Amino acid sequence: MTNTLQAPPVAQGTSAPRAAGGPGRTKNLLTRTRPWLLLAPALAVLAVLLLWPLVRVFLFSLQDYGLREIVSGEPNWIGLANFGEIFTSPELYTVVLPNTVGFAVLAVAGTVAFGTAVAVLMASLGPFWRTVVGSAIMIAWAMPAVTGTYVWVWIFDADRGIFNETLQALGLQDEPVNWFTNRYTFYAIVLLNVIHHGFPFVAITILAGLLGVPKEMLEAAEMDGAGPWRRFWRIIVPNLKQVFAVVIILSTIWDFKVFAQVYLMPGGAGSNREALNLGVWSYVESFGQNRYGFGSAIAVLLTLVLLGITVVYVRTMLKEDEL
Amino acid sequence: MNKRSLPIVALGLTAALALTACASGSEDTGSGGVNAEGQTLTVWIMEGTNPDSEAFFDSVGEAFTDETGAELDVEFVQWADAHDRFVTSIAGGTTPDVAETGTTWTAEFADAGALAPIGDFVDEAGLSDDLVEGLVESGTYEDELYGMPWYAGVRSLVYRADIFEELGLEAPTTWDEIVAAGEAVKAAHPDMMPFAVPGDAEFPVYPWVWGAGGEVATQEGDEWVSGLDSAESQEGIGFYTGLATEHGFSSAGATTWKETDVLDNFAQGNIAMALMGSWTPAAIVEKNAELEGKFAATPIPGKDGGIAPSVLGGSHLSMFETAENKELAWEFVKLMTTGEFADQWGQQSGYFPGQASLLAETMESDDPLVAPFATQLVEGGGTVPVTPKYGAVQAKKTTNTAIQAILSGQKTVEQATADAAAEMNEIMNG
Repeated sequence: MTNTLQAPPVAQGTSAPRAAGGPGRTKNLLTRTRPWLLLAPALAVLAVLLLWPLVRVFLFSLQDYGLREIVSGEPNWIGLANFGEIFTSPELYTVVLPNTVGFAVLAVAGTVAFGTAVAVLMASLGPFWRTVVGSAIMIAWAMPAVTGTYVWVWIFDADRGIFNETLQALGLQDEPVNWFTNRYTFYAIVLLNVIHHGFPFVAITILAGLLGVPKEMLEAAEMDGAGPWRRFWRIIVPNLKQVFAVVIILSTIWDFKVFAQVYLMPGGAGSNREALNLGVWSYVESFGQNRYGFGSAIAVLLTLVLLGITVVYVRTMLKEDEL
Repeated sequence: MNKRSLPIVALGLTAALALTACASGSEDTGSGGVNAEGQTLTVWIMEGTNPDSEAFFDSVGEAFTDETGAELDVEFVQWADAHDRFVTSIAGGTTPDVAETGTTWTAEFADAGALAPIGDFVDEAGLSDDLVEGLVESGTYEDELYGMPWYAGVRSLVYRADIFEELGLEAPTTWDEIVAAGEAVKAAHPDMMPFAVPGDAEFPVYPWVWGAGGEVATQEGDEWVSGLDSAESQEGIGFYTGLATEHGFSSAGATTWKETDVLDNFAQGNIAMALMGSWTPAAIVEKNAELEGKFAATPIPGKDGGIAPSVLGGSHLSMFETAENKELAWEFVKLMTTGEFADQWGQQSGYFPGQASLLAETMESDDPLVAPFATQLVEGGGTVPVTPKYGAVQAKKTTNTAIQAILSGQKTVEQATADAAAEMNEIMNG
C-alpha cells in the first residue's frame, strides 16, 4: 500500500521539469497506455492467428455451409438451426454424451491415479532405477497414438489376438469373442490405450512436484507418528494442489477430445453406432458429409464446455491459494 | 426411373448429339488443333494405382508437349487425403486444370459447381459410343457428363483354386453351390475361413442385394427411395450374413473387418472364398508369392445362376472450372483415356480401360485372373446411386452399420435393413 501512495508524487516530480512539453495528464495517459502499446504487436498477431479463426468458426456455425457455399463464397445463414439439430439429436443423449463424459471421467481418474502411483514409486527410487523407470515410461509416451492403438487392437484381435488365445488356452472361453462389437469392452480397450499413453506425462509432472516437497516437513510428520498413507494425503497432496489442477485440466481436455484412439479401432469409425464418441460423431456427421456449418456448431459447443470446466478448476485453485 | 435404364437413355441422347455434331462438321479442331506453346497444364493423379507412375507420366508429358506445345505438370496425391485436398483447393480457388476423381466424387464436385461439363468435347471427338457404360453413368450429373471414364475395377468372387481342385469342387454358379463348396472346405480344412463376410465393408454387400432382385436405391421423380428393406434385398443380405451367422463360414474377427483385412487374410492363406477387386490379385501375390497360381476368380453368382451385378469402381478424369484453356485440358484428357496410353495404363495398373473398344480387346484375354473380372465388368457392372448425397451415406457407413449389427447379433436382418433404408432415405432426400 505504501508503494502506491508514494508513486504519484514521484511521477509528478519527474514530469515537472519537463512540463514545457505538455501537461502532466498526457504523461499519465502515456504511462497507462504504454503496456498496451508494447503488447500491441503480440496482441495483433494473436488476434489474426487465434481470434479471427474463432470468429469464423462461430460465423460458420450459424450457416448451412457445404461444398456449394465454399465454391460460390456466398453465406447461407440459417440462424441457430445447427445448434437446434445438435440438441434434438437422440443419438447425442443415448450414445455420444454418455460415451464421451463417462469415458473422460474414467480416463482422467485412471490416468491421474496411475501416474501419481508411478511418480511416488519413482520418488522413492535411487538415481539409477529412477532413470531406468523414467526411460521406460518415456517410451510409452513417445509412441504415436496411431501406433499405440494398433498394438492394442492386435492384442485384442478376435481371431489371432494374444488375449483371446490366452483365455481359450485357460479354458475360460470356447469360441473367439470379438471384443470390439460391445460398447463396454470397446471402451475398456480404449481406456487401457489412453491411460497407457497418458500416464507418463502425469507421472513426470507430479514427480517434479514431489521432489519439491520440503524434506523437513515429511520428517517432522514422521517424528509425530504419521504413517506413509497419512503423510501422502496430509502433506504431499496439499502441497501439490496446483500441480494436480494443471494435470487434471489438461487430461480432461485431452480425454474429452479423444479421436484417433477410437476412430482407428475396428468398428470405431462409425459402423458400430454404440461406440460413437463426440470426436468421431462430429467428424462423421459434419466433415464426412461436407456439412461444415454443423461441424463448426459442434466445435463451438465443445469449446464452451471445455472452457467451463477449465474456469471451474482454475477458480477452485485460486480460491484455495488465497486461504 | 429405373437405375439401370437411365444410362441407356443417356447413351441414346449422347449418341444422337454425337450424330448431329458430326453432321455439322468440325474437321478443323481435330487432334493437334490446339497450339498452346508456353502454357502449363496442372494435373492431379492419385498415387499408388500404377506402381511406375513417374515413368508413365514422363512419356505422357513428352507426347503431350509434342502434340500441343504445352508443358505438363503432374502432381501425385494420396487417396487418403485427396478428398480434403480437393475441398480446400476448391475453397481457395486453386484447383488443378484436370484431376483424377474417384467415381463417387465426380457427382459431388459437379454438384458443388467445381467441374466443367465435357459432354460437348466427347461428342466432338466421336467418343460417346465408345465409353464403358457404368463409368459414364457415375460420371453423369443432371444429364451432363463431368467425368471422363478412365479406368475401372470390379469385385468378383475370388477363390483358392488349389483347394477347390483338391476337393473336386467347381467354381460356384449359384448360391446353393457357394454353401456346398463352403461346407466342403469347412470339413476338409477346419482352420480355414470358407467364405469371408467383412462387417465394415459396403461394396461386397450390394451384389447379393442385386443378385436377389433387390435395389440399393432408386429415383422416383425427385425422391430417392432405398430398396434395402424390400423382401428381395432382405433375402440377399440374409443369405450373405447367413454365411457367417448360420453356416459359420466367417470368423468373429471378420465382424469388424474392412476389405483390406480380407485382402491381408487371403494373402496369409486363411480364406478360401471372398469377394475381392480385380486390382487385388497382384497385391496378393506381392504379399505372398507362394499363392501365385493357386487362386482364381469367377463372376459373382446370382441366386439361381447368372451374374450378380457388382459395383464398378474406378476413376474419371475431370476438368475443373478453373482451367483457363479448356481445349488444352481436353487434349490431355483424350490423350490419357483413349488409345495407346489408356491401354498401357490398364496393363500396368491391373485395371480395365474406360474406353469400350479397348476393353473389348482385354476381354479376349484368357488369364484366369483377368477374364472373369472382365466378364463381370461388362455383363454385371452396377453403380451405387448417382447423387451427390450418396457420399454422405457412405460417410455415415449406413450399409456397413447394418451388416455389422447383423453379424454381431445386435439386430435381425429385417430390423437392420429397415433402419438402414430409413437412414438412407433421410440422408438422400435431406
